[in-house]
Amino acid sequence: MTPPTLAEPRPELVTRGQSKPRYRWMEAASSADHKAVAKLYLGTSLTFLAVCAVLFALTRLQLIVPDNTMIQPEIFNRLLSALEVSVVFFFAIPLLLGLIGYIVPLQIGARGVALPTLNQLSYWLYAAGAFVFYASFLWAVPETSLAPSPGLADVAYSPTHGVDAWIAGTGLAVLGFICFAINLLVTVRTQRAPGMVWRRTPIFTWAATAIGWLLLVAGPAMLGALTMLMVDRRFDGYFFDGLEGGDPLLYSQLVAFFFAACHAAVIVGAAGVLSEILPTFARKPLFSHRAAAASIVALAVLGLLAWMQSLYTAPIALGAVYATMIVALALLVPVGVLLYVWIRTLWNGSIAYRAPLTLAAWGLALLVLGLAGELMTAVVPVGWQLEHTAAAQSDTILVLLGGAVLIGFAALHYWLPKVTGRAVGEGLGKLAAWLIALGALVFWVCMSLAGLEGQPVDVWRYFEGQGLNAYNLIATLAALVIGLGVLVELGNLAYSYGNGRRVGPDPWGGSTLEWFALSPPPPHNFDAVPDVRSAEPMRDIREAVRARQEAFVAPRPLPRSPEPALTGDGGADGYDGSLA
Amino acid sequence: MRTIRRALPVAALVLTVVAAPAVANPLGPDEAHSPNAEDIRVAYWVMLLVAAVLAVVVLGALATALARFGERRGAQPPRETAERGQIARVAGALGVLAALVFVFGVVITESARKLEPSGPEGLSAAANRYAQVGVSGVPEPAPGSQEPPENAPLEINVIGQEWLWRFEYPGGEREDIAELFTYNELVVPVDTAVVLNIDSTDVNHRWFVPALGGQVDAIPGTISRTWFKADEVGRYPGQSTLFSGSGYPTMRAWVRVVTPAEYEAFIEQLGEDLSEAQAAVAEEANREAAGGTE
Repeated sequence: MTPPTLAEPRPELVTRGQSKPRYRWMEAASSADHKAVAKLYLGTSLTFLAVCAVLFALTRLQLIVPDNTMIQPEIFNRLLSALEVSVVFFFAIPLLLGLIGYIVPLQIGARGVALPTLNQLSYWLYAAGAFVFYASFLWAVPETSLAPSPGLADVAYSPTHGVDAWIAGTGLAVLGFICFAINLLVTVRTQRAPGMVWRRTPIFTWAATAIGWLLLVAGPAMLGALTMLMVDRRFDGYFFDGLEGGDPLLYSQLVAFFFAACHAAVIVGAAGVLSEILPTFARKPLFSHRAAAASIVALAVLGLLAWMQSLYTAPIALGAVYATMIVALALLVPVGVLLYVWIRTLWNGSIAYRAPLTLAAWGLALLVLGLAGELMTAVVPVGWQLEHTAAAQSDTILVLLGGAVLIGFAALHYWLPKVTGRAVGEGLGKLAAWLIALGALVFWVCMSLAGLEGQPVDVWRYFEGQGLNAYNLIATLAALVIGLGVLVELGNLAYSYGNGRRVGPDPWGGSTLEWFALSPPPPHNFDAVPDVRSAEPMRDIREAVRARQEAFVAPRPLPRSPEPALTGDGGADGYDGSLA
Repeated sequence: MRTIRRALPVAALVLTVVAAPAVANPLGPDEAHSPNAEDIRVAYWVMLLVAAVLAVVVLGALATALARFGERRGAQPPRETAERGQIARVAGALGVLAALVFVFGVVITESARKLEPSGPEGLSAAANRYAQVGVSGVPEPAPGSQEPPENAPLEINVIGQEWLWRFEYPGGEREDIAELFTYNELVVPVDTAVVLNIDSTDVNHRWFVPALGGQVDAIPGTISRTWFKADEVGRYPGQSTLFSGSGYPTMRAWVRVVTPAEYEAFIEQLGEDLSEAQAAVAEEANREAAGGTE
């Protein structure tokens, strides 16, 4: 038999003066593709995580013994400010945005985002913010912890340009977050695959939408506070000057509102990731898609409305205090429902103990303990006792280590194979999960006990005879273990990014549409966008492929023709039915 | 039997937590020496119990699920999802719990805010003015009357500034000095209701003496109030808990609780010391002025 005839060969089309291909870094930095922008977000935020790990270790080393003089107070306060600002503005939120920016368009079966240039702008605003903040190390660094309190922000008490750098840096980053949120919300609103109504929209996309709304609502409040603060500092304003008739509490309220949104965003993001990872690795559908989605929305709304939880000690109206307490306690309902849904999802499952699950399970455990601690401080007198002590702060740190760091790593283990087509190292991932989790637990216990002894937050020294020595010593050692775990995992991710074992487009057997795309996805994501008929579209596709394979009857081979060897490479989506 | 065996660890935990306040325990705040601090301790232990039970139940279920349902090769797990009303029942139970905790929270907050009158061992003092979140039930003077109301608490102004605390005492019978004040150590009589008017002259600070109640913001231009009634003679340490710059960790305060007689003697002595110091300063200033003219 003659081979089938091909089309006539014809000369290749060559144009004169064709532009040289651009450098890869230039392409990566200037591409408006949502995947390229998201990779920039992920890379930058993980770089800042490494910076945070080092700063955390340094600030803790200063507190290893009482009356330590290793670091001068001014230097310590600079490191502390850089640490706290970086954790919130340059690591936790951008990491979420990177994950969302990469995965959500794929997950909803979109070929791109609605406003790609705005998306690009959001990254560069954030990067500019981080640059401005860290550039202040060249002349005057802020010495004002996470956010300067009203009086301290005044030019009389912080005369250097440090606070100005803080205003500009965080302001640019927040502006970037708002741009990102606009693009995200429009994309999710308009670009979903045919048939993907809200009740079939993946939970991670629900969480992303909630985060988008949180940033869109709270970001402008922060920008307003920063603008008024700038006017106060440099243009003789007195918005926040209590002695001139301004209102320092207004500033506290606006800033607390924004940080409540960040806190809620971290928890909502963690909930979204867990709602994807746990069903995949238990090989069961989520116990209740509807309850998970509703709880995530409730978590975002109530979490934001409970912003005054950090202002129980301020002279605000009693009615506002009680309203805040009831909202903060009402958070028990969505959090509890989510936990119930997740545990029922694992129950009776066939759980594959892979690194993403280890990281996610430890992250969940830390999140539960941290939120239990925050439930206690929601009750007003307990808040009076614990709010600004090391005890309440260690609850927040536990929420961040569980919800942003560990569950962030779990999400990266889960989704980086989509980004690179390569698996992330399992052994080091599990090792990092144990190091970070055990370190965090020891740290949390020690700092909670120190807080009960009355150790305040953000101090650069404590004194002999306050009964805090052992707690701080052990907490510092635990912090070093946490930092080590973070660096191990970052090294693991960096190595696996270029050198990991190659895997197919659907290594875990996931049930959402991002696994339908190739790994890495082409610029347009999907050649064909499938119709969505359920909350688990990828499962439907797999079932259809399997059904077709089963129904397929191989034709009788023709006599004396050499039979081509069939590759065992799975069906149309390359899925071979294993979790490898 | 199985239920009982399962309930045992929870019961043990409940016992530990409930029995804990009886003994000095690192799991809780240090001993309280004022009724409002006692209320805070009660709120703390109850909430610790609630949070611990919830955390143990959730983490226990999570660990059990992870341990029991490991990968079974080839097994297809059941595709079970929530039945109708199942989630609503869980949410309802959690809602009831949240409501109960809220009612408890309001009751205990009101109890902690309510000013208790001075006891028989205490000093009867004079005071006036309004109350804010930290205090309720401060006796008001009768309308039009200049007389202090009965059972009026001792009012002391607490003023935070970078990085120390200033205390201004009532008792302005003396004409030679404007104010009776001390720095960093507050002296108060035992068993006496003391209301603190907390203020700041520069940046925000936060008053916190754990044995005598919770944290209160010191905000420039706004007066925050709290109260305490120390039940025992002693010296109680405190510290600002709001970041205020490089000297912030050294912004400590002590409350020295003495008997009423000692307190009155202290105020007397303080007046004389301040008067002497003022006279010395005035003399110095006069001499300098005189020297300057020569």
